Amino acid sequence: MSVFYIALPIALMLGAAGMIACVYCIRSGQFDDLDGPSVRILVDEQQSDDVDSQRSQASDPS
Amino acid sequence: MSTATAPPTSAPMLCKHCGLPSTQTFCCNGCRGAYELIQGWGLDSYYQLRDSGQTQATRETHEDAFAVFDDPEYLGRSAPQTTEDGLAHTQLTVIGLHCAACVWLIESVATRTPGWNDARVRMNDHSIRIAFDPARTQLSRIAKQLSRIGYELSPQTTSGDDAFTMENRQLLTRIAIAGFCAANAMWIAIALYAGDATGLADDHRLYLRWFGTALGVAAVVFPGRTFFVGALAALKNRTPHMDMPVALGLAVGTIAGIAGLLSGRGDVYFDSLAVLVFLLLVGRWLQFRSQHRAAKTVELMLHVTPRHARRLLPNGEESLVPTDHLRIGDSIRVRAGESIPADGTLESQRAKLDRSLLSGESAAVDVDQGDLIEAGATNLTQEIQLRVTAIGKDSRIGRVMESVAEAAGQKTPLVQLADRIGGVFVVVVTLAALGTFAWWFASDPVDAASHATSLLIVACPCALALATPLAIAVAAGTLAKRKIFVRDGASLSRLAKPGTIWFDKTGTLTLGRPRATWVHGDRQALALAAAIETENAHPIARAIVDLANDVDPANDVDLASGVDRSNDEDSASPTTKRTTNVKTQHGGVSGEVDQHQVWVGNPGFIIDQGGRISAADAAAIARTLSGQSTPILIAIDGEVKGLIAISDAIKPNAAALVKRLQRTGWNVAMLSGDDPAVVTRVGNELGIAPESCLGGLSPEQKLQTVRQSVCRTKVMVGDGVNDAAALAAADVGIAVRGGAEVSLRAAPVFVAETSLAAIATLLDASRRTTLLVFFAILTSLSYNLVAVALAMSGQISPLIAAILMPISSVSVLSLCLFWPIARGNALPQ
Repeated sequence: MSVFYIALPIALMLGAAGMIACVYCIRSGQFDDLDGPSVRILVDEQQSDDVDSQRSQASDPS
Repeated sequence: MSTATAPPTSAPMLCKHCGLPSTQTFCCNGCRGAYELIQGWGLDSYYQLRDSGQTQATRETHEDAFAVFDDPEYLGRSAPQTTEDGLAHTQLTVIGLHCAACVWLIESVATRTPGWNDARVRMNDHSIRIAFDPARTQLSRIAKQLSRIGYELSPQTTSGDDAFTMENRQLLTRIAIAGFCAANAMWIAIALYAGDATGLADDHRLYLRWFGTALGVAAVVFPGRTFFVGALAALKNRTPHMDMPVALGLAVGTIAGIAGLLSGRGDVYFDSLAVLVFLLLVGRWLQFRSQHRAAKTVELMLHVTPRHARRLLPNGEESLVPTDHLRIGDSIRVRAGESIPADGTLESQRAKLDRSLLSGESAAVDVDQGDLIEAGATNLTQEIQLRVTAIGKDSRIGRVMESVAEAAGQKTPLVQLADRIGGVFVVVVTLAALGTFAWWFASDPVDAASHATSLLIVACPCALALATPLAIAVAAGTLAKRKIFVRDGASLSRLAKPGTIWFDKTGTLTLGRPRATWVHGDRQALALAAAIETENAHPIARAIVDLANDVDPANDVDLASGVDRSNDEDSASPTTKRTTNVKTQHGGVSGEVDQHQVWVGNPGFIIDQGGRISAADAAAIARTLSGQSTPILIAIDGEVKGLIAISDAIKPNAAALVKRLQRTGWNVAMLSGDDPAVVTRVGNELGIAPESCLGGLSPEQKLQTVRQSVCRTKVMVGDGVNDAAALAAADVGIAVRGGAEVSLRAAPVFVAETSLAAIATLLDASRRTTLLVFFAILTSLSYNLVAVALAMSGQISPLIAAILMPISSVSVLSLCLFWPIARGNALPQ
């Protein structure tokens, strides 16, 4: 059971690493806008649709 | 600006781009341009993406207005910074964002514009980060491009957003730390409980307790500090606050936990403590965010007024400078249709102004050279020049703002129900803990202390403290979807108790847009009257021109062009008649048309000019007055030839709203700067008691009326600057759409909707929200009661506490999420 003494700090350190990453993201402003990214998913899809349709037109020999 | 105040009168269809009522496919050229631009770029799915909500039409902007975007002085903090890669970066406020489609449209336009490398739009604070190549394009071109598709750029102001960003980040950081502590403390707690059931070595148990306690203490000390700060402030101010019982529970739990750990006896509640801090912070952040969103929306309305002025340089050239940079003695120019940026004396020969924002009276006034002009008035007809005499705080509008701030400062803050309970809670819980200790002390002194501390910990009202912020966040979000923006959560609980509600008349209960009806006389006179009114931007003049067009379709040039008539530079004359010597005076207009002297105005004006009013005309005037309209006479060569009745139509559901308010116990009254007789008549039609209809009031009198009232809840609904002080002094001020900047600042609630149904929706929602808060508090209190009863009987254990607390929070949470805050249409049309 001595592994227990090592496992618990390691688990906590992993968790702490996640927390520090999260705090870093908050500090760097990645959580400042929570509405925009949900919109940009639509935007990207829309653009790739455009590109797809252009590609299919370009590849269509007729 | 014109589109916001005066949409065309007949509305058979909606503008294809902006959705405003229009007589043609597009309401204005801006919309046509935007539509063509969008179509031309193949971005027409914009219209599908855009939700059915509102979008604003492009504001009319002068070409050279964009040149200022290349001036670092105008941009201030938003001046572009060039990086090593040769790109210039800048961050600006963008006005006109409504939904997902706007973000998508702007960012798509950026990728298709040469030289404009990148645009990042942030919905929540309506800002845009632009990266462009200064060698290939300029910021002014980008601004112009955005203006063409309906968005305005504005330099960022120094304050506000930064504070929000910092506080938002701080709250989120605290939530992240608390979440980490809570999650890890919980699994350590699970290991301990499982160990209790299956057997656990003593050294392992101690090891787990050490880590668990460390996590719990970390959650209380770092992110949980804010509750102690709040509780201390509440103690200092001697006002009850929800933070007090929370801080008490946290403090006792932490101390008891550490003592239990060191002594090896007693229970530790570290997991409950960490989860408590985490949940409370999440609730706080939700409320903070929803209120900020409402405040931001209102703030954006404020951006609409010009923040720059045209200063005249000694060499006769103009330069656009921010209004704050003006000095007393500067000469400034104001174009027709612009609003005056500072108080000043007129240097031009004469000017015609719309002072309705300040006085509430909608008639245009003439001023002569040397007269004082107040900031906030709108210059109606021609470019004028004035010498600045007062700026900012010293100007008339600045003083009104000051009285608004003063009125708001004198208002007693409302102690929320939950905070009041919080105060009582501390006392009750402390007494209960003392009682428990005394009761158990006789039998077992050691257990007595343990039972008392566990009572203090389990009584910590997590769900109770969560209930109010959650309910307000949910209500504010629901209302914002209906274009009602609540900046101050306390307003919702205030509105739930019926009291007196005062309405401003013009623009609030009425459409604020006069309509003319033909009473009697010679039709030819009407055409002559319309001829001299054509160039006049005054609402009554527009109404007369509209009437002339409706009556005689041969004159229908103006109507067919179908454009918004309030920008009069392009409105064609309805007649081919030659008009000369047109002069606007107090009460009317005089001019010469085809060698006829024409006077159009109220009876007093006609008599002053030397006109004769026959007995038959006098009778018709009396009839018009009794029919709730203002009579306007047309005199040709001194002879009265026609009578027009001008009335400001009451909004369609105003009577229904008044009736509904009265039924639900509100005392409805009217405060207006308009003529008392008119106010009484409108009140009569709406079913408001004559003694409650006060007319002819100055802004100060409105403020006095609201202040001196002794009723329970004082609510003011209005839009103008003359309402602003009253809005601020009332318990709840509600500013309605199209309102003046000052009234928006003064009122904690803003209704961006012309329909009065929104008022009914708001009052309904506030009643339901208060009910929700009440039920949520009841629910959480019953959980607390169970926990306290268990603790008093010595039955509580950390395990039971760990189960009870999340359950109570989840019940409160689901109650808030599924509570019907606003339903359907509150008023029948």
